[in-house]
Amino acid sequence: MNLKLKYYFFCFFLIAPFFLFSQSEKTNLFEKKILQQKLIEFKGELNFIKSQSYYLKKDWDSTLIYSMKQLSISNNRKLADYCHYFRGESFFNKKLYKEAKKEFFLVSDSFELLPFKNFTLGASFLELKEFDNALYYFKLAEKQYVKSNNTVGLANAYNGIGTTYIFLKQFEKAENYLLKTLRINQETQNNDKICISYMNLANLYYEQYKDNLAIFYFKKSYELSKKANNITTKQTASKNMAVVEENRGNFKEALTYRKESEQWKDSLNNQNKIWAVADFEKKYAVAQKQKQITVLKIESKLKDTQRNGLFYSVLALLLLLIGGVYVYAQKVKSSKIILTQKNKLDELNATKDQLFSIVSHDLRSSVNALKTSNAKLTTSLETKNYNELDQLLHQNSAIANGAYSLLDNLLHWALLQTKQLYFHKDSVHLYSIVQQIEYNYKPLLLDKGITFENAVSKNSFIFVDLDSLKIVLRNLLDNAIKFSDENGEIKIYTTETNTNFCQLVIQDNGLGMSQDTINELLEDNELLAKKSNSEIIGTGLGLQLCKQMIKKNRGTLAIESELNKGTKMILSFPKTEQNG
Amino acid sequence: MDNINVLIIEDTPEQSDALSKVLLANKYNIVGVARNYTDALTLFYQNPVDIIVIDVFLDGKPDGITFAETINIVPNASKPFVFLTSSQDRQIFERAKLTKPFSFLMKPFNELEILYALEMAVEKFYEQTNVFLSEDQDTVISNDYMFIKKKNALKKVSLQDILYIEVEDRYCNIITEKEKFVILISLTKISTLLNKEKFIRTHRNYIVNADKIEEIILADNLIILKGNYKINLSDSYKDFIKKMNILS
Repeated sequence: MNLKLKYYFFCFFLIAPFFLFSQSEKTNLFEKKILQQKLIEFKGELNFIKSQSYYLKKDWDSTLIYSMKQLSISNNRKLADYCHYFRGESFFNKKLYKEAKKEFFLVSDSFELLPFKNFTLGASFLELKEFDNALYYFKLAEKQYVKSNNTVGLANAYNGIGTTYIFLKQFEKAENYLLKTLRINQETQNNDKICISYMNLANLYYEQYKDNLAIFYFKKSYELSKKANNITTKQTASKNMAVVEENRGNFKEALTYRKESEQWKDSLNNQNKIWAVADFEKKYAVAQKQKQITVLKIESKLKDTQRNGLFYSVLALLLLLIGGVYVYAQKVKSSKIILTQKNKLDELNATKDQLFSIVSHDLRSSVNALKTSNAKLTTSLETKNYNELDQLLHQNSAIANGAYSLLDNLLHWALLQTKQLYFHKDSVHLYSIVQQIEYNYKPLLLDKGITFENAVSKNSFIFVDLDSLKIVLRNLLDNAIKFSDENGEIKIYTTETNTNFCQLVIQDNGLGMSQDTINELLEDNELLAKKSNSEIIGTGLGLQLCKQMIKKNRGTLAIESELNKGTKMILSFPKTEQNG
Repeated sequence: MDNINVLIIEDTPEQSDALSKVLLANKYNIVGVARNYTDALTLFYQNPVDIIVIDVFLDGKPDGITFAETINIVPNASKPFVFLTSSQDRQIFERAKLTKPFSFLMKPFNELEILYALEMAVEKFYEQTNVFLSEDQDTVISNDYMFIKKKNALKKVSLQDILYIEVEDRYCNIITEKEKFVILISLTKISTLLNKEKFIRTHRNYIVNADKIEEIILADNLIILKGNYKINLSDSYKDFIKKMNILS
């Protein structure tokens, strides 16, 4: 009897985790569905997602870690419930029943998987041999399963209740519940579960010393276990048979069953070994993969650097290309500029050459005239013709004056071109300057019988460089005299304007010129005006010089003229600022 | 009225002769013609000089500018001067420009140009520009002299010689012991230019040389000047008497 009892307990020890195992293994669809819903609901909670996925994979340690993490960072009630539930289940599966119990107690009553929790909690109590509590929670689970119409869960609950009753020795109730379990399991046609139900029933009857019934169920469970998938079930069934046969004294058969049981156990171990090997292989494969990953990483790094190198070299090439294009464009541009400059220079050079030839020609004729005049003078002196002498001397001085003014212009032109001309603006009394210029031309005016009038306002002070002003006035007066007929009139006067400029007009009633000539004269860079009257029109140098000097003094030049009526040269210069 | 004393510094005899001729013809007084730098300094310090005409190049060296620089350094010794030059060489001008006040004349020049240049030099030197050529003034006043433009040429009158000045509109009658003449200058202008310690306003129309006062008869509101000129004294200008050292 003593021995028998011991075996019973042995059996029960095997049974209790057994049915729970089957429960956890086939995590029922309902639970899975809810968990997946939660997954979507708590998408952002990484730790929850991880712990949930580990839970479904039955990696209990990882589940514990991530659920703990989730608990430490979040205060969400629902999430906390799930986490405690995961932890409870994990502890239970790790056979840490007290811890499991604690976790389950932390789950609130609004938890969606309440029956599952209650069931596992009941199982935990059963394992801890607190049968009353176990019964209470199993019954709670039963009610909730009934409510949620979960037959598989209900079967489990009935099984739990039945088993608990066995321990409480309330065999009738136990029988009732176990039969209910059996019925449900038969309905769902789960061989493993039916087998376990038979075993439990057999144990129940064996406990009540209803040996025949017990043996019937043991046998039934044994027969069924042959069809079952679960090796542990097979082993337990054959072991039970061995114990039963041993007690009946059929040692031979007991031995066979025992052997079979041992065989199943070995195969279980083998399976475990295979699993371990598989696990090891898996680990190896993972390591291999890891290695591959590292290699790939290095390769990608290498590729990256290669790509970067390529990119930079392309960039450098592009820059080089752009630089080249830019330099080329610059070169083209500069060569264009150089070409235009060359053309301009050629043109200028040509004009300069022309100028040279004209100037030298003029000078040559002047000197020649002097020579012939001097020859005449000598003869006149010899013949003592004094009347002629005076006239010749006058002629000579006129020629000398002309040549001098030409040379003077030339000198100033050169100075201006080489930027060596000293330029100093000062307040200048216009009337006095006109007077001074007139002074030099008095003989010439007298000679031609031209009346000259200086009608410049005596209060006109202009702010210019004195010497350049003199050059301008000298040239313009020279021109006016040159283009005036005998007994003509030349007048220099200022006109009142209210601006900051003083307007000076040099007016003659001489030859005049056409609009075309005026335009030509005023045009820039046209060094030499075309000669329409080569007898009296000079180099054009004088007027060009005037234009530049006027410009330098910030003045302006305008010409009004009519053929055979006369010319007005209108100059304007800035007035001296009157400050006090 | 005295003639203006001109010192000519010119190394070429023909040019200095021509210049002298022009100046003498216009009643200027030539105190000397220097041919070089040393002569110029000697002549400058030995004679009373009013204006100097300086040729920039003496014997091919720009000693003219050196001379101007020398007299410029000595305070109160400097006089108005005009540079003569035949070249518009920039470098020379940059140097000459530093001797302020700077005025120059390009060779060749005619009579009018040299006279104009001299007037300009005086105006610039005494910092009273646009005087001689304007229509409302013809006198520049220095510390010792009045420079007056008479026709084409300048004249001077020593301030020392003036007895009193009578103001009439834009004109002033200048009365010296020897002569009497009219200059064109406004009262406000002349009173700012004259030394107030020496020339005292005694009446709306009179400015009197204090040195020439012989007697003040307050009862008759009269001032008796040297040469027995009687000048009116008006009440509003009597204050000056307090400042005088009265012998009792």
